[in-house]
Amino acid sequence: MPVRSTPTDWGAVTRLFHWGMLLLFVGIVSVGFYMTDLPLGPKKLKIYALHKSIGLTLLGLAVLRLLWRLSERRPVSPPMPAWQERAAVATHVLLYVLMFVIPLSGWLYNSAAGFPLQWFHVVNLPALASADPGLKVLAKQVHVAGVVTLIAIVALHAAAAFKHHFVDRDRTLLAMVSRAGGQP
Amino acid sequence: MMNASSRWKSFAVPGVAALVATSAIAAPSYVVVPAQSSLNFVGTQQGEKFTGAIRDFDARIAYAADDLATSRLDVTIGVKSMDTKSPDRDQALATADWFDFAKFPTATFRTVAIRATPTGPVGDADLTIKGHTKRIAFPFTWKPAGTGATLDARVTLDRLDFGLGAGDWADESTVGRKVEVVVHLTLVAGPASTPAKPPAGKPVAKPAVP
Repeated sequence: MPVRSTPTDWGAVTRLFHWGMLLLFVGIVSVGFYMTDLPLGPKKLKIYALHKSIGLTLLGLAVLRLLWRLSERRPVSPPMPAWQERAAVATHVLLYVLMFVIPLSGWLYNSAAGFPLQWFHVVNLPALASADPGLKVLAKQVHVAGVVTLIAIVALHAAAAFKHHFVDRDRTLLAMVSRAGGQP
Repeated sequence: MMNASSRWKSFAVPGVAALVATSAIAAPSYVVVPAQSSLNFVGTQQGEKFTGAIRDFDARIAYAADDLATSRLDVTIGVKSMDTKSPDRDQALATADWFDFAKFPTATFRTVAIRATPTGPVGDADLTIKGHTKRIAFPFTWKPAGTGATLDARVTLDRLDFGLGAGDWADESTVGRKVEVVVHLTLVAGPASTPAKPPAGKPVAKPAVP
C-alpha cells in the first residue's frame, strides 16, 4: 500500500490516522462516560488522568493529521450530485474542527477547574486559563456538546460510506479499506 | 510543660506597663497582623505543585533570643479555611479521607521548647492535625522590626504522619507525600491576655487584643 494517497485510494498514513484515531476516540469516549460517576478517590483521578492523556494524544495526532491532509491530494471522488459533494466537504471540515475543539475544550475545562494536566506521567502541560468556575461550566458544555456532535457526524459519515458502497456501488468506502489499489 | 504553661499564664497581664515590668522575667509577647501574614502549604498532585492558603489562624507568640526558656509559639489553625484554588480539590480535602473538616476543624501547633542552633532558633513543637500529634522540628527566622517582628519558616511534612490521604490515597503517584508548609507572620508587640482560642468560622483571624 502506498504511503501517500493515490487518485483511487487513501495512502497508508491517512488510513493509520483514520482508523487509529477512531479506535482512540471510541476508547476515550467510553472512558469519558464511565469516569464521571465514579466515587471520588485515587482510582477516579487515575482514570481521569488516562482520559486526559489519550485526549492530548488525539490533539497531537489531529495536528499531524491536518498537516498531512493539507500536504497531499485526496483520491478523486466518484460522480455524485453537487449537494452530496458539498455535504461531504462540510462533514469533513466539521470533523477536523471537532478534532481540535473537543480536546482543547477539555484542556480548558481542566485548567478552569484548577487541576494539573499530565501526559502519561511524562510531562506536565501548562494551564490554558486560571481557575474560574464560570469558564469551567462553559468549557464543559463545549466539551460535551462537541463529543455529542462528533458522534452524530461520525455516524453520518459512516452511513454515507455504506450508502456509497451498497447503494451507489462506488469506491468511496474501498478507498479507505481495500488492500489493492484501483480494483473494486 | 506545666511549668512553661504556668509561666505563660503569669505573664498574661494586660497593659504595656506590665509588659515592661515583666520583660526581665519573660520573653515579650506578640500578636499576628492577619493582613500581612500567611500560612501556605505546597503539595504535589499528578506531578504538579499546587499551593493552598489557610486564611484562618491565630498565633500567640512570646519570643526573645536571649530568653528561649519562656519563648513560645502557639498557633491555632482553622483548617476549613484552606483554599487550593480548585473547588473540586477543596471539596476532596474536606472529606474523611483527608482533613475530615466535620470532625477535626482545628489543627494546633505548640512548641514545647525552643533551642538556639548555629543556623538559628529551632522550635520543638507538637503539631496536631486530624487528631494525630507529631513532634516536629521547626526552624525559623526571627527579624525584629520596630516594636514588632517577622517570623518566617519552611518545614516539610509527611502527610501520612497525620492520616491525610491514608488507604488508597497513600500511593504517591497521584498525590505526593511531602508537603511543604510556608509560614510568614507579621507580629506586633501585644500582651496576650487570654490563651489562643480556636478560630471560629471563615473570617480572618483577629488578634484577641485590639
